[in-house]
Amino acid sequence: MTTVEIFVGIFDGFRITATVTALGLLFAVPFALIFGVAQYLTKGAAHLAVTAVIEFWRSSAVIILLFVFYYVLPVIGIQLPAITVAAMVLGLNAGGYGSQAVRAGLQSLDRGQFEAAAALGLPRGHILALIELPQALTRMAPTFINQFIQLIKGTALVSLVTLTDMTFRAKEIAELEYNPVGVYTSLLLAYFVVCYPVTVFGRWVEQRSGGRKGLTNEF
Amino acid sequence: MNFDFAFAASTVPTILGVIGTTIGVAVLSCAGASILGFSFEIARRAGSVPGYLMRFAIDFIRSTPVLAWLYFLYFVLPHWGVTLPALVVGILGLSIYFSGYLAEVFKAGIDAIPKGQAEAAKALGLNRIDVVSFVLAPQMLRNVAAPVGNHFVSILKATPYLAVIAVPEMLGSALDIASNTYRYAEPLTVVGIVFLVLALAIAQGVNMLERKLLGPTNR
Repeated sequence: MTTVEIFVGIFDGFRITATVTALGLLFAVPFALIFGVAQYLTKGAAHLAVTAVIEFWRSSAVIILLFVFYYVLPVIGIQLPAITVAAMVLGLNAGGYGSQAVRAGLQSLDRGQFEAAAALGLPRGHILALIELPQALTRMAPTFINQFIQLIKGTALVSLVTLTDMTFRAKEIAELEYNPVGVYTSLLLAYFVVCYPVTVFGRWVEQRSGGRKGLTNEF
Repeated sequence: MNFDFAFAASTVPTILGVIGTTIGVAVLSCAGASILGFSFEIARRAGSVPGYLMRFAIDFIRSTPVLAWLYFLYFVLPHWGVTLPALVVGILGLSIYFSGYLAEVFKAGIDAIPKGQAEAAKALGLNRIDVVSFVLAPQMLRNVAAPVGNHFVSILKATPYLAVIAVPEMLGSALDIASNTYRYAEPLTVVGIVFLVLALAIAQGVNMLERKLLGPTNR
């Protein structure tokens, strides 16, 4: 096999990589929005409960969560396809990080935004949906894009629970013929080809929002 | 098959027995990633050809999964005649993967120093080396301490990836128990809880450090 054939062979797995990423987003986006807003609005015991759920998903090692759910769910009688378990674990882990960006975005808004809207008589729900969230989410856009890249890269884990993503394909090809340099360089390149456009897009978004400064100090 | 709590408890000593490996790997990888990341950032600041090459290298590292790096080093280095213990390969892999993020931390840490600091030091007659080591470096270290601490937690949570290249850390020893006894749920749940507690405790420590560094006098 030439290096090009190896690369194409690895890219066969892109379908699974993309599917897990997309399914993961279905878990990550709602989780980040609901729990981020809930952590921002709640107080007392409810706040602690919301924080505990977020910290469980955010502070655990994602590879361990994947193994735990993959092996423990069947024991307690829940049979799910590997791809669902993987998408759920990767998605909720990413969602845990995302929720912190949502909360931080909401907290960073000027208090006057809320006060002005309340003075105009808008109900709390409308203030959140029409005034606070649009500004918070725009402000945190670069962070969300970084977390999206983390999610794509995280899908490499699904190769450990027998899904034939790009990493799994690389290991299959590595068993067929001895060419570690070709196989694993192609694997790194395959992820680079997928993630780099997102990185460039993220940088463009960041520049547009004026968050990036030039190099200043001489070091 | 039910969840056997007695068996779960019996796996705790074995898993906790290698907690030192996990923490040691995390500390060494964090040191390695900081040294690499700082060097990359300095090279990136140099501008012209090395600057652009470094910018690309950092983007490449940030666009590729840690699992792919571990496989690459584990299978390609022996092919090039470099045979290292799996533990060293793992530390090297984590150092390279996280160097891309640490480079961004150092960039932000350097950019945050007001430009006037270097100008004032130069005006006082300090030479370039003195400006860097006595004026810029101490301020940068204070700026980066908290973010490096946060990345230390991320690195800690990435150490179980080393199980895939047969490093005997906590996830690896849990999987060993599982494959010897055909009981996966118990050891994996134990390692999951141990990791969650460890990560939360260290994150708490980093938060305290952050508060101390950014206390009422600074900023």
